[in-house]
Amino acid sequence: MRNLVRSPAAGALAPSPRIEGRVHDPVHRHTPRRGAAIAGALFLGLPACGYSLQAADAPAAPPVSTNNLSGATLNSSPNDPAGEWHSQARDFANSRYSPLDQINTGNVGKLRIAWTFSDGTLHGHEAAPLVVSDTMYVVTPFPDMAYALDLSKPGASIRWTFKPNPSPMALGKACCDAVTRGIAYADGKLIYNLLDDHTVAVDAKTGKEVWRVMMDNLETGATMTMAPLVVGNKVFVGNSGGEMGVQGWIAALDVDTGKQLWRAYSTGSDKRVLIGAEFKPFYSWMKGNDLGISTWPDGMWKHGGASVWGWISYDPGTNLIYYGTSNPSPRVPAQRPGYNLWASTIFARDADTGMARWAYQTTPHDEWDYDAVNEDILMDLRINGEMRKVLVHFDRNAYAYTIDRTTGEVLIAAPFAYLNWSTGFDAKIGRPIVNQDKEPRPGVKLDNICPPDIGGKDWQPAAMSPRTGLVYAGIFNICMDLTDHEVGYIASTPYDGMEMQRHAAPGGNLGEFMAWNPATGKKMWAIKERFMTMSGALATAGDVVFYGTADGWFRAVDARNGSVLWSQKLASGVIGQPITYLGPDHRQYIAIYSGVGGAATVRADTSMSGFPAQGGTLYVFSINGDSIGAEPALPSVSNDAGAPAPTANRGQQ
Amino acid sequence: MSRRILPSGIVALSVMLCACSHSEGGSASGPPATGLPSGGEISALPMGHIAGLTDSAALARSIPNPYGDNPQAIASGKALYIKMNCAGCHGYDAKGNMGPDLTDTYWRYGGLPAQIFQSIRDGRAQGMPAWGAALPPQEIWKLVAYIQSLGGTYSVDGTPRNAQRPELVAPELSSHADDAPR
Repeated sequence: MRNLVRSPAAGALAPSPRIEGRVHDPVHRHTPRRGAAIAGALFLGLPACGYSLQAADAPAAPPVSTNNLSGATLNSSPNDPAGEWHSQARDFANSRYSPLDQINTGNVGKLRIAWTFSDGTLHGHEAAPLVVSDTMYVVTPFPDMAYALDLSKPGASIRWTFKPNPSPMALGKACCDAVTRGIAYADGKLIYNLLDDHTVAVDAKTGKEVWRVMMDNLETGATMTMAPLVVGNKVFVGNSGGEMGVQGWIAALDVDTGKQLWRAYSTGSDKRVLIGAEFKPFYSWMKGNDLGISTWPDGMWKHGGASVWGWISYDPGTNLIYYGTSNPSPRVPAQRPGYNLWASTIFARDADTGMARWAYQTTPHDEWDYDAVNEDILMDLRINGEMRKVLVHFDRNAYAYTIDRTTGEVLIAAPFAYLNWSTGFDAKIGRPIVNQDKEPRPGVKLDNICPPDIGGKDWQPAAMSPRTGLVYAGIFNICMDLTDHEVGYIASTPYDGMEMQRHAAPGGNLGEFMAWNPATGKKMWAIKERFMTMSGALATAGDVVFYGTADGWFRAVDARNGSVLWSQKLASGVIGQPITYLGPDHRQYIAIYSGVGGAATVRADTSMSGFPAQGGTLYVFSINGDSIGAEPALPSVSNDAGAPAPTANRGQQ
Repeated sequence: MSRRILPSGIVALSVMLCACSHSEGGSASGPPATGLPSGGEISALPMGHIAGLTDSAALARSIPNPYGDNPQAIASGKALYIKMNCAGCHGYDAKGNMGPDLTDTYWRYGGLPAQIFQSIRDGRAQGMPAWGAALPPQEIWKLVAYIQSLGGTYSVDGTPRNAQRPELVAPELSSHADDAPR
């Protein structure tokens, strides 16, 4: 471990992120590949070996810029224009990869602020902006406003503002701050979810509402925070509220009208869950009739949570969507013996009918709040000599999964973050082995369970580069002390029962940014961060990867070796998702929101010196800070005879 | 946009809960209160600029908690605080989570006992459910007694309840604190 602090940019003094990884550590260049056996054997007791994993695995990378370390290939459908960003993940595969390369490892150190935008709200800013043609679209946390910013104007002035006026009651129902994870663009419309359970479509040209549909009942405690995914004429949305005892669901709506085409619940009968003859889970313990009822104590599926508040990906080759469900409710496992299907589960469904094709429960009978809602990144990989269509999923339970997305078979399961709830992974039945010492019982305080409720990684999405073949993710190094309390179901109140205190896992750092090889299940390098690393990641063809920290640092790192190439302190913490685009001036820009909130305001964080205040500012960067019309619009005072008086036109322009 | 919440499960649960507390023995539910304030009095409490203690709280100041500092009522109130899932929003330590901190001296809707009663009975716009349909007045007063015991509330005689924490109290006694949401 050593400090690799590169030139602090823009006059800011960068703190010292600690980087581990052999690629740029000549001392360890010939270290035996200790990690290979560990991850290959699907893990035996991470606590002892977690840090050797991340220190030892990179093969000596030849200095070839196109070397793909995993052999992964990416389908970039729907193949939007290279300079634009139409959905939160940019593509159906959820890669968050941009083919732009004007900004690269050679010049990223010259990034400077081009312009900023304050949206007037202060809840956690988790969404990515979109760029379509010459317009940027942003959506704010509650009260869920949308803005169109004119990129052709100096400073990107506001073209229109849309104020949907959601019910303030929703503020008291959202478990984890009044956030939204973003907006989707489709066919001249912007579609997003309001915290008060409405999906709304807005005309992208005018900012006028096109349709609004009520998707759930706020009085059950349900809210909506996830970002829709649009595929063709369908938009997929789901609800939040795993802490409130809601009934989780995903639905497909018609893009033109908002009319519901199908809805699949996460618990209850096969009919409600849209499970039929074509449902073929890979593992036998998920086979049977109406498991969404029978794996619960009598009737408890009705308030079983399993909401759908994370990411959806889509494979045009098979016409399947992929997404995960949240923790089961209540969060006290002693009250709900059974597997609690289909909570904490990854689903593959037919996009047209909603019928389930396969499912895989990542954490059976979840006892620690390990949702399965994190992103499923689709790629094709060669594993054991055979090309496999896979999805890569970093679960809250701290296992990274490489799963055959056509069958639901787990090909690789290896820990990516510190954990002690499980002692290993049983590859034969496809289940983590539970450490009985870490199973909570009501009324008994149980110290040091790792990871905590927010997992080894939360919703903050990873990025994948088809140039390096690696996946890049902000992850956590956190544990919790937990006391469960039995709870009763009361509509509109938390059906929760977890009293907990989070603290750093061994090492003392709360955050980490890492590169992961999805073909081998090995960590290639990692950058330790003192505060939580809870931003999305962005990978580019310039071989630069971007991420932010809860204390407000936004960094660019070399995609191949994790060298920090540039850092900039922003006003508030960064929990948003960076994007990149080409402006009307054909210049490449990088954009990221600053505005800490959400689950990043854990007490372990806020009590530490250096934790920032709230904010709500979008930052846009370019090389040297160049942008359209950065010069004053009016002529400066000049000595030239005949120059117009500088104040002559003021007030008329 | 103001919508009232009437959680469907509340009535059934409160019946369950009352039965439950009786079965645990009469002492757990605290002594019967005498001279409960009328519901009409509570309803007459003004809304408005009421964070902290201000002149507009004159009526609220005329209504003390009939349970006062009764330890049994406080214990019952604490049990209710857990059972009715108040802890899920306001925290098991009452220091706030989804809902506001109940131990500090900042009260968006007033920190006098009658104002807290009103917030519990009628609910508040940013998600606080209305418990008047589920809990009889004496149970709500026990919840108020528990919240008062946490030290951040105001007494009807105009003094801060927790005299040991004057630093938390002074600004709000001396000025009209704004009621910006947080």
